[in-house]
Amino acid sequence: MRLRVEIIRLGPVDEVCVSVAAANIQTFIGVPVDVAPSWPEPEYAMIPVRGQYNAMPILNALGMGIDADTRRLGLLTGDLCLPILTYVFGEAQVNGGAAVVSIRRLKQGRDGQRAPLHVVLERLAKVAVHEMAHVLGLKHCRSSQCLMAFSLGLEQLDALTLRFCPECERLVARKVQR
Amino acid sequence: MSTLRILVIDDEEAMRESMAAWLENSGHEVAVAESGTRALEMLDRDVHDLVLLDIKMPGMDGHELLRRIKEHYPGIMVVMITAYGSIESAVIAMKEGANDYLLKPFDPKHLMLLIEKMANQKEMMTEYRLVRDRLFELEGAGFGDLIGSSEAMQEVFKQIEEVAQADIPVLITGETGTGKELVARAIHARSIRNCGPFVAINCGALPEQLLESELFGHERGAFTGAVRTRIGRLEMADQGSLFLDEVGEISAQMQINLLRALEEKRFLRVGGSREVESDFRLICATHRDMQALVDAGRVRSDFFYRINVISIRVPPLRERPGDITLLAHHFLQQFSNEISKPTQELTPSAYRLLTRHDWPGNVRELLNVIERAVVVSRGPKIDAADLTFFGAGTEASAKAATLKEVDALHIRRTLEECDWNVSRAAEILGINRGTLTRHIKKNGLKNPH
Repeated sequence: MRLRVEIIRLGPVDEVCVSVAAANIQTFIGVPVDVAPSWPEPEYAMIPVRGQYNAMPILNALGMGIDADTRRLGLLTGDLCLPILTYVFGEAQVNGGAAVVSIRRLKQGRDGQRAPLHVVLERLAKVAVHEMAHVLGLKHCRSSQCLMAFSLGLEQLDALTLRFCPECERLVARKVQR
Repeated sequence: MSTLRILVIDDEEAMRESMAAWLENSGHEVAVAESGTRALEMLDRDVHDLVLLDIKMPGMDGHELLRRIKEHYPGIMVVMITAYGSIESAVIAMKEGANDYLLKPFDPKHLMLLIEKMANQKEMMTEYRLVRDRLFELEGAGFGDLIGSSEAMQEVFKQIEEVAQADIPVLITGETGTGKELVARAIHARSIRNCGPFVAINCGALPEQLLESELFGHERGAFTGAVRTRIGRLEMADQGSLFLDEVGEISAQMQINLLRALEEKRFLRVGGSREVESDFRLICATHRDMQALVDAGRVRSDFFYRINVISIRVPPLRERPGDITLLAHHFLQQFSNEISKPTQELTPSAYRLLTRHDWPGNVRELLNVIERAVVVSRGPKIDAADLTFFGAGTEASAKAATLKEVDALHIRRTLEECDWNVSRAAEILGINRGTLTRHIKKNGLKNPH
């Protein structure tokens, strides 16, 4: 059976965001993507003093009960963090079953303004593909031109081109047996 | 950025697990410990480059653990982790030797930049060590203690220059004490690998099992006592030269293992299942007749041909008597400098005695004789009586020494045996005390105590 990805909205998420994430994962990872019914907002993962969602329990919840050929991507609008980090754009179980991406910070533009929609969607595509590649087992890449490079912030994320370096491309293809 | 081996120490599971996952995603090797005690066990067992250490922990706190790490593992970098509002603790930790600190929760940018900084620091330390080793090699690159104006040694120097650049195995033969390791070091210093390490091991000095572990390294738990993973000499010599002294003593099985490692440039550590790679130049040495060992079936012919692509024979000292005074003068200066004594001179009779000796222990024996003479002699000159020959090369083997020289040696030896009790020495020598005192004065003998 062939690997497939399931996108799950965790609370209300714009339809266009789901479509962009699905299309780009399908294109760059090369696996079919289905949109599953939405889940409620992950209140269980809320850290009240920080007003942010802890990515770890969300990943655990997403990774539970999936079959061997399915990987899950959760999308949410709330701000995402890790206990040790003030924020993350997304987080994944490397070589695991699930990833989660928050759209909140991707909307930030310069001088506190909201970024144009096409910029937000391009950022979302990059983060979603990046996190799903982690799920397939890829780690951060040392090539600054690769989608798997670590982005120090939105500026670096914007500077990235939406493509893997040849080595990561080869790894992705091998993982999904293209 | 190079890969770091990181140990995360935090009593909160969520903290250490999320940090470990994040650092692993960035391509680093990460281990976690929940307490100071557990961390010390892991530090003792495995190799780490960086420790991320939470200051506030029950039991042994971060400050105490930092002190222990800096005391026992000074090469490991330590970054302290503390919560907002505890910055004073972090400042104290910096004074105690921590390399940096992080306030949690941290901005991912800060963590990434800090890890990059630590990776750069590790690279700089590695580079520094290489440069230091290179300087050390260069200091000995004038051929160092490998001294000789004789035709035989000039031929050795010429061969060293010829083979150094070729990056092929070299077999150095010669009697014990002729300076085979110095020849190997000179080849390394002139080779294209001179920025890499020179790693030496005496194969004759270790039992087979120990030698295998020394050469190939071992994984933790490979055998009783292998409490931590250890890299072997083959791995240490990566990009440099590996010098196997007394290679004729290696067992047949070890020859097979080495042959495979030499040909494939990869091997397994003892008890390991993952191959490690190492690219080194092999330089071997032996005092034995290797062809005879091959004929006797003690050395495999394929191993012999592999290590003996080019051979250099270092002549024994007796074949180059002209070099003895040159070497003696060199060692005299060297040891005088080492013990901050004004450089002494050898008297003509001392030189004569040195050149008449047959030097079964070769240059090493000469070095020992001069070192002892420098230490025990008083005054500006070293006389024949100050020279003591060891083992097979005792004074009895000094060829055709003068009667005066033999007299002086015998008197000094007797005095030493009696701990410079002149009356007792006179009794043994069968002369009266006054006569012995005159002999002592005439031969310039002095009580070293």
